[in-house]
Amino acid sequence: MIRKNCVAMLLAGGQGSRLGVLTAKIAKPAVPYGGKYRIIDFPLSNCINSGIDTVGILTQYKPLELNDYIGSGKAWDLDRLSGGVHILPPYQGQKGGDWYKGTANAIYQNLGFIERYDPEYVLILSGDHIYKMDYSKMINQHIATSAACTISVLEVPLEEASRFGIMNTNPDGSIYEFEEKPKNPKSNLASMGIYVFSWDKLKKYLTEDENDPDSENDFGKNIIPAMLAEGEKLQVYRFGDYWKDVGTVDSLWEANLDLLNPKIDLNLSDPDWRIYSRTGALPPQYISDKAKVENSLITDGCEVEGNLDYSILFENVTVEEGATVEYSLVMPGAIIKKGATVRYSIIAENAVIGENATVGSLPENTDPEEFGISVIGDNLTVGRGAQIGPKKMITENVGEGEKV
Amino acid sequence: MRTSSVSGIVFANSRDEALGRMTNIRSMASVPFGGRYRLVDFCLSNLVNAGITNVGVITKANYRSLMDHIESGAFWDLDRKRGGVHLLPPFNISGARRYHGYIEALYGAMDFLNRCNSDYIVLCDGCVAANVDIAAAINFHISKGADITVVYRTGVPVDNAKNMMTFKLDSGDRLVSAHFPKTVSANDLTSLGVLIFGRKLLIELINNAYENGGRNIDVDIIADRISDLNIYGFKHNGFSAIMTDIKTYTEANMSLLDKNVRADLFNPERRIMTKNRDDMPTRYGIRANVHNSFIADGCVVDGTVKNSILFRGVKVKKGAVVENSIVMQDCTVGENAVLQNVICDKKVFVGNNAMVKGPAGESVYIEKNQKF
Repeated sequence: MIRKNCVAMLLAGGQGSRLGVLTAKIAKPAVPYGGKYRIIDFPLSNCINSGIDTVGILTQYKPLELNDYIGSGKAWDLDRLSGGVHILPPYQGQKGGDWYKGTANAIYQNLGFIERYDPEYVLILSGDHIYKMDYSKMINQHIATSAACTISVLEVPLEEASRFGIMNTNPDGSIYEFEEKPKNPKSNLASMGIYVFSWDKLKKYLTEDENDPDSENDFGKNIIPAMLAEGEKLQVYRFGDYWKDVGTVDSLWEANLDLLNPKIDLNLSDPDWRIYSRTGALPPQYISDKAKVENSLITDGCEVEGNLDYSILFENVTVEEGATVEYSLVMPGAIIKKGATVRYSIIAENAVIGENATVGSLPENTDPEEFGISVIGDNLTVGRGAQIGPKKMITENVGEGEKV
Repeated sequence: MRTSSVSGIVFANSRDEALGRMTNIRSMASVPFGGRYRLVDFCLSNLVNAGITNVGVITKANYRSLMDHIESGAFWDLDRKRGGVHLLPPFNISGARRYHGYIEALYGAMDFLNRCNSDYIVLCDGCVAANVDIAAAINFHISKGADITVVYRTGVPVDNAKNMMTFKLDSGDRLVSAHFPKTVSANDLTSLGVLIFGRKLLIELINNAYENGGRNIDVDIIADRISDLNIYGFKHNGFSAIMTDIKTYTEANMSLLDKNVRADLFNPERRIMTKNRDDMPTRYGIRANVHNSFIADGCVVDGTVKNSILFRGVKVKKGAVVENSIVMQDCTVGENAVLQNVICDKKVFVGNNAMVKGPAGESVYIEKNQKF
């Protein structure tokens, strides 16, 4: 095996239960984003753009679609003779086996994989964030500061800091304390869940953690505190560009519509930092004579005859004549029939919204207590003339004229 | 039929003179078409969709852009251990030189023909945009016990029919006569340049015709041997366009604004595959005004676009108007600029307030990289 300077390990096993019906059948990293991407395209594209060509993807929850999507890794130029992309599910050994008990345990169970490449550094990533980041800069800082572990952080408003894992640092950027969701935050440096470890240190602390029966085997809760307790040098790496966690329906919706915000710099086809995705061979989009399209993102394979504003149409979406889609995401293959109205909603893959049905509502027409994004699950049908209110999570077909 | 028993050959330099300056810098097969395609995509996809995974592409000149496009063949699933796509540049005949006519071209590709070990060879003309069911044509060829099968269309009149073959069939679909008219009428049966041969027969016919000074397959093989070979016609019912001049090229692009044409040409059961560029979806701005247009990914539209085809990465700025035009990859139309009845080749830059208009019903062609 050819030695690698850095191996990336991508934690992609989480269920993402807060996304409800959107992750009923697929793992969170496989959730569609931005018209033609899936969330996992971001860490994978960041890896290849940063010069990291060896990536282990740790899967556990509903891995079929994710495995299919990754394939040989060719879409990200990660089909390599040496290295490349590897799917790492939990496995049975001679002494039995176990599910991944936590983020740290997932890596622990795959120490053998990392060992084969005998790297200097291991990059730990997760599959639930939208961001473009040059990991090589973070690794260079890690080398320059001789840290045992470097954690990338983002400045968040202090009043929101209690929602994050917060790093309390010395003036030189070294970490003296880690607090998970502190009530009275001392700093506004939030962990982005991206770690660079020196390989020998990672191996040592993962092995010790595994031998501690009381540990939850989690990087944030166990590994980082243990390293701090031992006096290891932990550094923050400050990241200042766009980054968004897409763990909830609201944040997923927001992160998508951020693509339409001219004030946010999130160009996904920047030739110097392209986000790659695996797409089918689809014809260009057709916008008809009757259509009205503004402030929207539309992908190959769509046919649009209706009205669009502040929306994203994923591949192969049909919006029929007289239909209106506003402030919404319409995922691959979905059909919005004639005269239907979709507002502040996420329509999942291959769902069909019947003629003259309405889904979601405008915030100005809604009691603020009741307002929220509505979600229609994949492959569901909403019958003709049905009415679905705001903040609904639809998991079953809705009949003709029904009110939900 | 074992699919490995069929190989394909694509003629990349077919009718190279028909599109004038557009084909000065590239072969016919690499002419951009329909927003994100090149003409070769139709040949390659049709062959692959019929299960044919061994394909030779015969080139003559200006094939750099074609090589760029095809790469390893992976986009058509043609990066294979067995077979795959093979570029066949001029070769063989007393030193490399450009061929004259398909017979000489195939004679030059004799190594490929001898080595590919298939029972059948399908020849495809690179100047045709059509979704042809080649698997059905091969089954037809076998069930008829044909020596040669010619895929044809009907119902499409052509003004400029230079080098087009029409023919008549008997009630059993066998060719009884072949013609080379100046114009084609709607009732005529016209060859689509998709021909099926038994491989051994093709080798024999090519060797004979070459030795006798023959150049043109239609003239020196089909028409010449119509009485002693079993030559059959297989009808293609869907959309098809043969690029005989800029006018047919323009009309073929514009016909994609018709739902039925799109449904036929981009039939999801037989996808047309092409090179992927990982563009972002197309962004429509706050002042976008788009009607009846076919637009590829990666565009940014802040102006007006009507009755037009936009290829990948085209930028239409605020106040700009693009009408009845074909705008190729990575062109920029500046603020308040106007394009009407124009074909912009790749990377044309139209500055703010500039105006380029062609006469109604005709298209002005603007060369690659031009600036206004």
